[in-house]
Amino acid sequence: MSIFDKLFEKTARSAAQKGSRRGFIRGLGAALVGAGSIPLLPVARAADGGQQLPQDNRLPQDSEAGDPASCDYWRYCAVDGFLCECCGGTYNTCPPGTEMSPITWIGTCRNPVDGRNYVISYNDCCGTTQCGSCLCQRDEGDRPLYRADKSNDVNWCLGANSSVYHCSTAIVVGLAFEQ
Amino acid sequence: MRVAMMKTLAPLLMTVLPLSSLWAAESKPPLTAEQREQRAEFNYKMFCRGCHGPAGEGEKAVPHMNGFVGHFLKFDAGRDYLVQVPGSANAALNDEQLTEALNWIVLNISGDSLPENFKPYTVEEVARLRQDPLFEAFEFRKKLLNDMLQQGIIKELPDQPLK
Repeated sequence: MSIFDKLFEKTARSAAQKGSRRGFIRGLGAALVGAGSIPLLPVARAADGGQQLPQDNRLPQDSEAGDPASCDYWRYCAVDGFLCECCGGTYNTCPPGTEMSPITWIGTCRNPVDGRNYVISYNDCCGTTQCGSCLCQRDEGDRPLYRADKSNDVNWCLGANSSVYHCSTAIVVGLAFEQ
Repeated sequence: MRVAMMKTLAPLLMTVLPLSSLWAAESKPPLTAEQREQRAEFNYKMFCRGCHGPAGEGEKAVPHMNGFVGHFLKFDAGRDYLVQVPGSANAALNDEQLTEALNWIVLNISGDSLPENFKPYTVEEVARLRQDPLFEAFEFRKKLLNDMLQQGIIKELPDQPLK
């Protein structure tokens, strides 16, 4: 018997002993359903594909650490409000039943993992009463109301259909330019 | 003798040293064209995007710029307006960076509205115009839009914001 025959026989017998045909079908099914459901996951309206500018591609997905449900997570450096991550949404998305305000204020936060500064858009989620969970007030880079575009004391739901504030997101929209 | 020399040298050094450090700061290499573009895009995000949106689409009382802002460059009053409008003239940017940001907006957000003969804003032009900012921008914009309509630059008034 050639060496290949031995090899294939051994592999085939081992596969037959260790796995079942139903197990394979189960795995295949899970993979198909799983892959199919990925596009159904909630995605921030503010991060809609067609409206992205080129620099938005350079995002820190692979090089960040921390708990997005914790106030000390790096993206929240200038947050003043409830974290959507604790309110049924995520740091990028609004909870169901709320609307993301398209008008917002924008600052920068330093990602401790790669040491770079990123531009963060603090879009508020609006339309239902205050979430009440994970109150977070860090205010780094927050400016007084006379610099309204850099102030987190403004009710940024003024741009939404309802001006009732629910929670805050922290969406990375690009790399900061290091002067 | 040596002490006397030190007495002469000390003030001289005190004058020269800060000057040399200033020289060192100024000798930082100038930005490349690519770096200027990155800085302009960053400044758009920091000072414009919060209200005008990721691609200049605007919202409610905030004018949309995408596919439209280039029309303002087809007549002098419109070109001046883009610098004198509060969001530009009052931005916390120096003249050089405001000029970069304005040119970046025009070149990246105008879409089909960009005139073929567009000449980029110069720093001198922006510096001069922003000394004379608009106090009332809304009615002035409405007037400019009507001028555009009469001059045949646009065929109809944009949907928002005209209230």
